[in-house]
Amino acid sequence: MVSGDQRQGSNWAGAAGARRLWGGYAATVALVGVATAAGVIGRRQLALPDFVMLYLLTIMIAATVFGRGPALVASTLSVLAYDFFFIPPFFTFVVDDQRHLLTFAMMFVVGLLISSLTQRVRRHEHEATAAILRARTEEMRSALLSAVSHDLRTPLAAITGAATALRESGSDASPQDQAELLGTICEEAERLERLVRNLLDMTRLESGSMVVRREWVPLEEIVGSALARLEEQLRGRPIRLDLPSDLPLVSVDAILLEQVFVNLLENAAKYTPTGSALDLTARIADGALAVAITDNGPGIPPGSETRVFEKFYRAQHTGAPGAGLGLAICLGIAQAHGGTLLAENRAGGGAVFRMVLPLVGAPPSTPSEVDGAAESRPRERAS
Amino acid sequence: MSITGPLVMVVEDEPQMRRFLRASLASRGFRLVEAATANEVTALVTSHSPEVILLDLGLPDGDGIEIARGIREWSRVPIIVISARGREADKVEALDAGADDYLTKPFGVNELLARIRVALRRARDANPSTTPILQLGPLHIDFARREVKVDQCDVHLTPIEYRLLALLAQNAGRVMTQGQILQQVWGRGHDEQAHYVRVYMAQLRRKIEKDSARPRFLVTEPGVGYRLRDRLD
Repeated sequence: MVSGDQRQGSNWAGAAGARRLWGGYAATVALVGVATAAGVIGRRQLALPDFVMLYLLTIMIAATVFGRGPALVASTLSVLAYDFFFIPPFFTFVVDDQRHLLTFAMMFVVGLLISSLTQRVRRHEHEATAAILRARTEEMRSALLSAVSHDLRTPLAAITGAATALRESGSDASPQDQAELLGTICEEAERLERLVRNLLDMTRLESGSMVVRREWVPLEEIVGSALARLEEQLRGRPIRLDLPSDLPLVSVDAILLEQVFVNLLENAAKYTPTGSALDLTARIADGALAVAITDNGPGIPPGSETRVFEKFYRAQHTGAPGAGLGLAICLGIAQAHGGTLLAENRAGGGAVFRMVLPLVGAPPSTPSEVDGAAESRPRERAS
Repeated sequence: MSITGPLVMVVEDEPQMRRFLRASLASRGFRLVEAATANEVTALVTSHSPEVILLDLGLPDGDGIEIARGIREWSRVPIIVISARGREADKVEALDAGADDYLTKPFGVNELLARIRVALRRARDANPSTTPILQLGPLHIDFARREVKVDQCDVHLTPIEYRLLALLAQNAGRVMTQGQILQQVWGRGHDEQAHYVRVYMAQLRRKIEKDSARPRFLVTEPGVGYRLRDRLD
């Protein structure tokens, strides 16, 4: 795994470097040209050592910004330009005074040294960045692995335990015990199913393969099927719905949006006391659909309002099960619809999750029937 | 254990799924014939004449949708397709190709038995539209008089609302796809008007459901269509 990453890392650097390389050479040539022009313009005020320093500075810049190759080019060009423009006889490569040859040689050697030094510094820097990146990837991978393996193992352990207990005890177990064990198996299997579904959704979101299939749907229908799916988890909990009867059809992916409602309600149910009420309201405002799910629980730990949407984030010390993917998926789906999802604490206690989805296009019309003119049967026959 | 119970054909490549289906169906008096590949299906349907077929859409050697279409060309045996969550388009295609209903993996035995029960009842009741009355808890539909009541109170429906409810009622317990509903209520040529179904379904729910956001009778099958329950639990 690690060696594969390293290879990938250097490939990446190589490809990016190749793209930048020719630009670097061109810029280096330009840089030497600028230094020469500056020297020519200021030749009355400057002495020979100043020109040497000017070229060394150019080589230094080329080495730092563009790397070794351009630095070598800068060294060569600098020596040539220095000779051509500033050493008599001017505008020829002929050298009268042999001492200047020594200057050329030293200039070139200093250029080489600078370029190899900066190259070394750059490589160290690059390696350090790659190491940090690798460490971070590794950290995320192990977090993923430990979260997932823990969450997969817990229900699996419960299922294995309950199933073997049933098999071993056979008919010896009391009906209550049997019912208890069977209940464990069913519940834990459902939990595994939810986890796998979340992992798949997350993978689809991250790989960009989640496609939003927009259709014109009444919001009530989406909320309705989400509530139906959560019948078990929300049993005994008052859910107050406030959906205006004149809400227009909305253009959304009904299946994905249902998943958002399922995850948000499931999350609220998980972190609030059993039996406490949940409110779901929807409004149309400023060309957007605004949905709020409000609970009466302990709220979100202060400062974690954004972190709750991070992958694998779980509220500390609650011991609530889950991989910390549900809210991250909700955010991903809201964003895939061009919308936003925020969490905040209410002044009176409890948390509120607000989703805002921009309305796309005008709802299509549905031809209405002439009401009352053709009812299912004539009124006078009513019994 | 009856040896003359309905014969169910299971077309499924996963041995553990076959084992689960065998155990849960045999203990309820069903007889089973199993196929693990698409190749065997036609021959087994011909030789055994099953009363219901459970067909996994994920067979490695064949397209389940094509199998359903193939069987439907020469047999009216009810087909219940089994597929994974997230494959709604496949389910719709299979249903439109002639399958009668579907189950999403993982499913519980209650759901399985409910689907088989509905499929068997429909197959035996050759002309379901002649059933004069449907009673579902407080919902009462009298097809002959075109009368709909909830808790003994008349409900006045528009012609389209009535046609929609009647279609689902005649197929009670069975899923109807958006496309099937559009075609049978509005007629051909409305493929682009999928929202008609949703709008009228919302209207219908407001008239017959106590709480239209928590429907008891008219269930949404996300991404697939709608189903009128055949019994209230």
